Amino acid sequence: MTDFYYAYENVIDLCLLNSVLALGCLLLLSVNLLSLATGGLMAIGAYLSIWLTMSQGWPFAPALAAATLAAALASAGLGALVLRLRGDYFAMATLAFTEVVRIVALNWDGVTGGALGVFGIPKYTETWHLAGLLGLVLYIVWAVRHSAIGDRMRAVAEDELAVTASGHDVARLKLAIFTASGAVAGLGGGLAAHLNMFVAPGDFGFLRSVDAVVAPVLGGVGNLFGAVIGATALTVLPEALRFSAQLREILVGGVILLAVLFLPAGLTSIPRALARRMAA
Amino acid sequence: MILQQLVNGLSLGSVYAVFAVGFTLVFGVLNVLNLSQGAVFMWGAYLGLEVVGTLALPLPAAVAVAFVAAGLLGVLSEWIVFRPLQRRGAHRWMGMVASLALARILIGLAQEAFGTQVVRYPDSAMTMASLDILGARVQLLQLVALAAALTMVLALGALLRLTNLGRAIRTVAFSETVARLVGAPVDRVRLATFFVAGALAGGAGVLWSLVFQSVSPFMGDAILLKGLTVLILGGLGNVLGALAGGLLLGLVEVSSVVAVGSGYRDAIGFGLVLAILLVRPTGLFATREAKRA
Amino acid sequence: MTDAMPTRRTALALGAAAILAAGPARAQAGRVARIGLVQSTTGGSAALYGTEQKQAIELAFDEINAANTLNGIRLQALHADDGADRSQTVNIFQRLIRQDKVVAILGPTLSNSAFAADPIAQAAGIPVIASSNTAPNLTRIGDFVFRTSVPEDQVFPTVLRYAVQKHGVKRVALIYGLDDALTRGAHDVQKKAVADLGLEQTGIESYQRGDVDFSAQLTKIKARKPDALILGTLAEEAASILRQARQLGFDDKVVFVGCNANISAKLFELAGPAANGIIVGAAWFAGYDSPRSRAFVEAYRKRYGSTPDIYAAQGYDAAYLLAEAIRRAGGADSGRAIRDKLAGITDFEGVLGRFGWSAERDATVTPKVLVGDGQARVFVTAPGA
Repeated sequence: MTDFYYAYENVIDLCLLNSVLALGCLLLLSVNLLSLATGGLMAIGAYLSIWLTMSQGWPFAPALAAATLAAALASAGLGALVLRLRGDYFAMATLAFTEVVRIVALNWDGVTGGALGVFGIPKYTETWHLAGLLGLVLYIVWAVRHSAIGDRMRAVAEDELAVTASGHDVARLKLAIFTASGAVAGLGGGLAAHLNMFVAPGDFGFLRSVDAVVAPVLGGVGNLFGAVIGATALTVLPEALRFSAQLREILVGGVILLAVLFLPAGLTSIPRALARRMAA
Repeated sequence: MILQQLVNGLSLGSVYAVFAVGFTLVFGVLNVLNLSQGAVFMWGAYLGLEVVGTLALPLPAAVAVAFVAAGLLGVLSEWIVFRPLQRRGAHRWMGMVASLALARILIGLAQEAFGTQVVRYPDSAMTMASLDILGARVQLLQLVALAAALTMVLALGALLRLTNLGRAIRTVAFSETVARLVGAPVDRVRLATFFVAGALAGGAGVLWSLVFQSVSPFMGDAILLKGLTVLILGGLGNVLGALAGGLLLGLVEVSSVVAVGSGYRDAIGFGLVLAILLVRPTGLFATREAKRA
Repeated sequence: MTDAMPTRRTALALGAAAILAAGPARAQAGRVARIGLVQSTTGGSAALYGTEQKQAIELAFDEINAANTLNGIRLQALHADDGADRSQTVNIFQRLIRQDKVVAILGPTLSNSAFAADPIAQAAGIPVIASSNTAPNLTRIGDFVFRTSVPEDQVFPTVLRYAVQKHGVKRVALIYGLDDALTRGAHDVQKKAVADLGLEQTGIESYQRGDVDFSAQLTKIKARKPDALILGTLAEEAASILRQARQLGFDDKVVFVGCNANISAKLFELAGPAANGIIVGAAWFAGYDSPRSRAFVEAYRKRYGSTPDIYAAQGYDAAYLLAEAIRRAGGADSGRAIRDKLAGITDFEGVLGRFGWSAERDATVTPKVLVGDGQARVFVTAPGA
């Protein structure tokens, strides 16, 4: 086991980190919001935390707290502007946000080093930090889902107008969820920045945001562990398929496509589907 | 110099427009965001290259092949992705994830088939002629691109307004349920829409390769983002808006290089998207529901 | 591709399967030196450079094993593709070092990947030789990090000085790729060289990866009437810029000065006659006339059916340098011993010419100033350089 951990430490770290980010997106998906802001919010958390630890001599924990807070604030500001947009317009606006942040990062040499990135970042992030955070976020999402707020979220997903008509402030609920999800992304960004000693603006673009939102869809939105399983699958697949060399992209795409087409409730529904087959 | 930049912006914008029109059509009619469209664009470019390069046939043959083959790729995405998902009543983001996965497969296949190197169309396939208009250098190919964009949009407009298929498409755009009730052949309309959108993407791929002299398996990634931008600028689902939005994006990109600096070019394009959405939450040229498609 | 591909692929697959079967417990210290070969063979333009290096290194290993010059030690390459994705590079370094127990690593393809992954090798005491990383300060990661890729700042000042002397360049404009570490690194060196030579800088333009339309930037540059346009670009981008500049009616007297990445057969293929007269500087080019270089180009062509580029040459030298270090160490049991012998090599005659390490473990070779010949589609030594 320790040998295995030793050889695959980074893969494990990435699975945990991506699971946390995917849970942030899952929260939003459960009120019908498909956000592509994850990359931009991560970038804010990552660059702020690096600047604090490397230039200002802050210890890791307060730097992470600042990263979380900054991303939450940015998220609240963005949310106040774009949450009234519907469906794909909301997705596009959040994508535009992520791209604008990336381009500002590319041009803001003093803090980000531009495309050359920042290197020599101290490696503070440990596997247990990520595991602990995942446990915490899982618990919070579970608690929220099983509370009155969770009921209201399900109602919003069902029929937003009806919830508004019943006198509830849907806008405030959405803003709260978007802000919480932003905080998770900012914290994830800070942890990611201190994981591999190097960051560059390309780490936080369109693809990053897409992966974070594909994970819960792939795993299954109806299940709390869907996000974790989806993120793990997306992280491990390229490693597991490395033997296939050039065919790897085709195989990864094929696996995702098959899963979406044949597992309506995501990867988490595999055991149930198998059980049904056994019974039949 | 201003005139030259205008030419630069319009020729860039006209290719954006051809790509975005198909993208918009699928969205407007079927309410589907097909994210494999960039990969279809890339395949159109490569197939056109095979025709003029390997087979040494004239350019019109390349355009025809790219049109038909890319159209069939569009049909394929309906068959294997969108129809099964729709039958099952899957959430719309399932379609996005699945079409992104399909794009990944198509890009991987192109890498297998054509390699990862950037290639270009042979000189024999096109003209390098240019003319000077009031001090601006205009490539004949740039005029072709602009003319092609206008022609395709007008042809599509005529198809939608004047033919039975067009009427059926517009009925489906209103409501698929209504269309089924009045006996419109919904399944065939969906296929036809995907075919037309794919064909336009393939045609845009050939046009792009001719004007900019560059074909690679990853060329669809950038244009997909541009297409999404144009979709917002033009109003999701508005064909004429997509033309205007495409040209506008080309002009905005060029003017941001001139006025602000090339480093911030894409930030300005996306910043504009954000700004427009804040002022008009359904896009710049958004129309009432009744005018869809 | 070549006929040899399927069989080699099968051989690699079998090799990988054998390694998996043997498992991490394999304590074979014997006569096989396991070398990690981390080159991108997928993942966009990086795959071009990665594939060239992988092929050249595998060629070198086969030659060395056939010649049996390492006292019976066989070199075994474990190739892993990181898809030009930095997280995967880190995954691969950890697995190669901790599970497959490699004694050295050749790669990775991209500088950004190196910044993330090389510290793992440094901490584990495994030497790394890069053959395409040109980013500044790379070897500051630590004393186990070497590179045969010549950083831009060793080459470009010489090239620019040549352009000034030969063509009387006074006013220059620069264009570069904003979001690519390689082009951005080249641009920084170029900007500094322009300032050092006291040239007048009339404008800096940029673009992003995937851009193929440079007409807006070029129109802006043209209006400022520079004597020279300096390119911090990849080969395919340089080709588009050269063509579009001609199309926009740039004055024929404007000199184009390129960077390391432009030295590729691809430039001529894509730009055609427009590449005529482009000035670049390189540690090596396919027409470099030395016995070692000629033999390499011939062997590479014979095996792969194409002309090697500069990254292939740098990869080939990296492989031979590593083999030499293993020979001097008399075994492949200790990364530390190999590193020390590697650092001690001062008299190596490689494809790039006479080769040594700087105090920072960068390659030191004499830069060659080259001029593009658009008709013959090759680079030739610049007249009077």
